[in-house]
Amino acid sequence: MKRLLGVALGILTAIGGFVDIGDLVTNAVVGSRFGLSLAWVVLVGVVGICLFANMSGRVAAVSGRATFEVIRERMGARAGLANLTASFLINLMTVTAEIGGIALALQLASGVSYMLWVPFALIAVWLVIWRVKFSIMENVTGLVGLSLVVFAVALFLLKPDWGSLASQALHPSVPSEEGPGTYWYYAIALFGAAMTPYEVFFFSSGAVEERWKVKDLVQSRINVLLGFPLGGFLSLAIAACAAVVLLPAGISVTTLSQVALPVIQAGGQLALAVLILGVVAATFGAALETTLSSGYTLAQFFGWSWGKFRRPAEAARFHVAMIVVLLAGVAVLATGVDPILVTEYSVVFSAIALPLTYLPILIVANDPQYMGKHVNGRAVNIVAFVYLVIILVASVAAIPLMIATGAGA
Amino acid sequence: MILNDLLGTDVVDSTGQRLGEVSDVRFALDAAPAQLLSRARMVGVVVCPRTATSFLGYERMDVNQPWPLAQLLRWRHRGSFLVLWEDIAVMGPDGVRLRSEFTAYESTLPR
Repeated sequence: MKRLLGVALGILTAIGGFVDIGDLVTNAVVGSRFGLSLAWVVLVGVVGICLFANMSGRVAAVSGRATFEVIRERMGARAGLANLTASFLINLMTVTAEIGGIALALQLASGVSYMLWVPFALIAVWLVIWRVKFSIMENVTGLVGLSLVVFAVALFLLKPDWGSLASQALHPSVPSEEGPGTYWYYAIALFGAAMTPYEVFFFSSGAVEERWKVKDLVQSRINVLLGFPLGGFLSLAIAACAAVVLLPAGISVTTLSQVALPVIQAGGQLALAVLILGVVAATFGAALETTLSSGYTLAQFFGWSWGKFRRPAEAARFHVAMIVVLLAGVAVLATGVDPILVTEYSVVFSAIALPLTYLPILIVANDPQYMGKHVNGRAVNIVAFVYLVIILVASVAAIPLMIATGAGA
Repeated sequence: MILNDLLGTDVVDSTGQRLGEVSDVRFALDAAPAQLLSRARMVGVVVCPRTATSFLGYERMDVNQPWPLAQLLRWRHRGSFLVLWEDIAVMGPDGVRLRSEFTAYESTLPR
């Protein structure tokens, strides 16, 4: 019974934890401009994140060490540094976007400018990282983040033409008012949002924090293989809501309140309250995960002691690094740059950095010296290699498309 | 001199002909016991004619997966060989010069 509860908790946490500001914004933007014609990208992205998160969880459970530590040791300082630089910069951008997301959600709730909420969000995130136990932090934000299910509920209440939604999703085509360049640019953005690298580092470091062993592999697999797809389903619901309400009205999403519009139309104030709760929890949880991920990657590369299972004094550099990252993110927001814009760029840059993150994971998961008999199976390797090619193509195409389309304008 | 100074430097034979770059250094843990492990003894350097980038672990012949990647990296490093410490005449910041009668050993690690 206790085990069953653990499994259920893990799945729910994974669902709530899957959606972050990047998924929220990108899916709403895409839904409002392209309908469900990019739904297939979410599917591709979810399968990809399942594949690599599962791999890095397995590395952590079998070797007892976080994936990044193994990468640093196995691939050497230079290859490790390339991986670190790419992942760290993306993490920093994502931290900035998530803190902005918390502040925007609080603005939506209170009417007070998001700029005034940024310091509050900063202190709240830091306090939780400093004081709160890893498992409590994970489960609370994940479970409360589940209130984003309100998007799925809203979709039902909107009584959409299911047939037309399905045909948009099943027969994808570029809408007449958009060019193929913007279509593919947003395809890459959506892919980057689903496969954000921090999730993988967080997942493997979290496995070490929670002292996973080989016998926990089954549970981790269930968490990933059920939780992430259900999270992806939430992403699709966000896009579908935007496709039903915003697309016909000609509203393309540039603010968080526009993301909320379909939900308000469907369920009124109550639904909005639930939505705000969900957005705050999801962005707060993601802010914690990205901040921790930056600490994890830095500490694991340089060999500092790390982890929330240690007291902060025993992992001083780890905690200082995270404080610096948080302050850097807030400094970026303090320039007045629009957090939604930061989010849109962060998902595209994620896509650009993906090869540097996922190639090492694939190599390490194939190394018998670390993995013993738990190395990747043949099927996993074939699929992972196909993904590597997709990731590479997306990464190479991202910058030219960004320039050609004026960042999707 | 630290290892980073050595990696990527040119390797020449006794006549000054360029053979490649140092892409790896091999150590053995068979010296006198120290506090934790035995001290590392330098066995030799791996010379690669084409690239000083890392083998990423694929110098071990039992590591073959993912197959396309292993093939690609082995192909990039084709023609690599191991030169023992005894066969090195000069080793410095400007590179490595080998003795005239050096032996080029297989650089892969069988097992």
